Amino acid sequence: MEKLFDMALLIMQGAAVTLEIFVITLALSLPLGGLAALGRLSSIRPLRYLMEFYVWIMRGTPLMLQLLFVYFALPMVGLMLPDIAAALLAFTLNYAAYFAEIFRAGIQAIPRGQFEAARVLGLPHWHTIKRIVFPQVLRIVLPPISNETINLVKDTSLIYILAMNDLLRVARTIVQREFDMTPFIIAGAFYLAMTAVLTWGFKRLEAYYGKYDA
Amino acid sequence: MASTMLELTNIHKAFGDNQVLRGIDLVVDKGEVLAVLGPSGSGKSTMLRCINHLETIDKGTIDIKGRRLVEDGVYVDEKTQHEILAATGMVFQQFNLFPHMTVLENLIEAPTYVKGLSRDEAVAIAVDLLKKVGLADRQDSYPARLSGGQQQRVAIARALAMQPDIMLFDEPTSALDPELTGEVLKTMRELAEEHMTMVVVTHEMAFAREASSRVIFMAGGVIVEENEPQEFFNNPKEERTRAFLRNML
Ligand SMILES: Nc1ncnc2c1ncn2[C@@H]1O[C@H](COP(=O)(O)OP(=O)(O)O)[C@@H](O)[C@H]1O
Ligand SMILES: [Mg+2]
Repeated sequence: MEKLFDMALLIMQGAAVTLEIFVITLALSLPLGGLAALGRLSSIRPLRYLMEFYVWIMRGTPLMLQLLFVYFALPMVGLMLPDIAAALLAFTLNYAAYFAEIFRAGIQAIPRGQFEAARVLGLPHWHTIKRIVFPQVLRIVLPPISNETINLVKDTSLIYILAMNDLLRVARTIVQREFDMTPFIIAGAFYLAMTAVLTWGFKRLEAYYGKYDA
Repeated sequence: MASTMLELTNIHKAFGDNQVLRGIDLVVDKGEVLAVLGPSGSGKSTMLRCINHLETIDKGTIDIKGRRLVEDGVYVDEKTQHEILAATGMVFQQFNLFPHMTVLENLIEAPTYVKGLSRDEAVAIAVDLLKKVGLADRQDSYPARLSGGQQQRVAIARALAMQPDIMLFDEPTSALDPELTGEVLKTMRELAEEHMTMVVVTHEMAFAREASSRVIFMAGGVIVEENEPQEFFNNPKEERTRAFLRNML
C-alpha cells in the first residue's frame, strides 16, 4: 500500500515536470512566434533574412539535437543553464519557429482588400492589425496551432535524454525497479488526458472564432 | 457657382516601367455624379485609388474640398492627409466587408474609433443607413450570410457612416450576379438624387446614361473624351470612344 502511494507520488512529480515544460514552452513560443512572423514579413530586409535563417535551422534539424546542443554544447563555451532552463530554451526556440511559419501563412492569407477597406475608413494601422487582421488570422491559424500544441505534449518526453525526471523517465524508473507495467499505462493515460483536454479546448475556440463562417 | 469638390492636375502614375496614368486633369464639382468609362487596363481603378492615396502618384497635384493633398508629387504630412481624406469614402468591387464582424459592427467600427462617436450615436447612424439601403433587418448578420448585392449595399452604408463628402465607386457591380446588380444600382441612384458627389467607375451603361451628370472616357492612361451623358452617348466625338461604345451596347 505504501509502495503504491510512493509510486503515485513519484508519477505526480513527473507529470508536474512535463506540465511545466509544456505550459511554459507554449506561453513563450506563441508570442515569440508571432514576433518572428512579423519579422519574416517585415520590409526590413536583414531582419527578414535573419528570421528566415532562424526558421530554417529550427525546422531543419531534429529537436533532439537542439536539446542536446543547448544542454551539452553551451556549457562548453561557458554558458551554464539550470537543467530546466536549458530544456525550455531549446523547446521554446524550436516551437516558436513552427508557430512563426503558421502565423506568417495566416497573415498572408488575409486579402489586401481588408487592409485597404480599413485604410479608406481612416482606421490607423495598429488598430487595423488588432481589430481587423488579428481575429481573422486567429481563425485561420487555430487548427495548425492545435496540431503543434498536441505535438508539444508528446515532444516534452524528449527531455528523457537529459535525465530530468519528467513523466516518462519516472515511469521507466519505476517499471525497472518494480517489474510492473502499470506506470507506463498511467503515463500513457496522462498524455492521452492532456491531448483530450487540448483537443476539446481548441474545438471550442475554433467554434467561437469561426462563428462568422457561412 | 458650384464649389469644386475634387481637382486633379496632371496626374502621372507608373508601376515600374508601366506608365498607367499619363497626365490626368479632372475637376469634379459638388453634387456631380461622374461616370468613368473605359476599357479594362486603361487606368480607371488606378486613378480612383490615387485620389484617396491607396496609390502614390509620381507627378501632379490633387486638391480635395479646396485642400491640397499632394502638390507636384509631394504629399502633405500624414496628419493633414488623414484630415483631407476623411472627406472621401470608397466602395470596392469585392465589397471588402470585415467578415468577422456583424453588419452593424462593420458600420460602427470607424465612426466610434476614428470619429470618437459614442456607441449609441454610431449605432443610431448605422441603423438609419441600413434602413436606407434596405437592410434594417440584417444588422446582426455576418457578411457571409448575405448575398453579394446585400454585401455591397452594406459596404456602401459603411462608407456613408463616415459621412464623406465624396464617394468613390470602383466597379461596384462587377463582382455581382446580373440579377443582383439592380439593387445596388438603385441604392446608388438614390444617393445621386440626394446630391452626393460621386465618382463611379462602371461598365453599367444604363447607369452612366441615366444617373450620371457627366461621363469621362479613359483609354491608355488619359481622358480621351468628356461630356454630359446625352451628348456622350448620342454623339461621341472620338473614334476610340465610338469603338468602345459599339462594343458595350
Ligand atoms: N498594384 C499594381 N502593380 C502593378 N501594376 C498595376 C497595379 N495596379 C494596376 N496595375 C496595372 O496598371 C494598369 C491599369 O490598371 P487599372 O487601373 O486597374 O485599370 P482599369 O481599372 O481601367 O481596368 C494595368 O496594366 C495593370 O496591370
Ligand atoms: Mg479596375
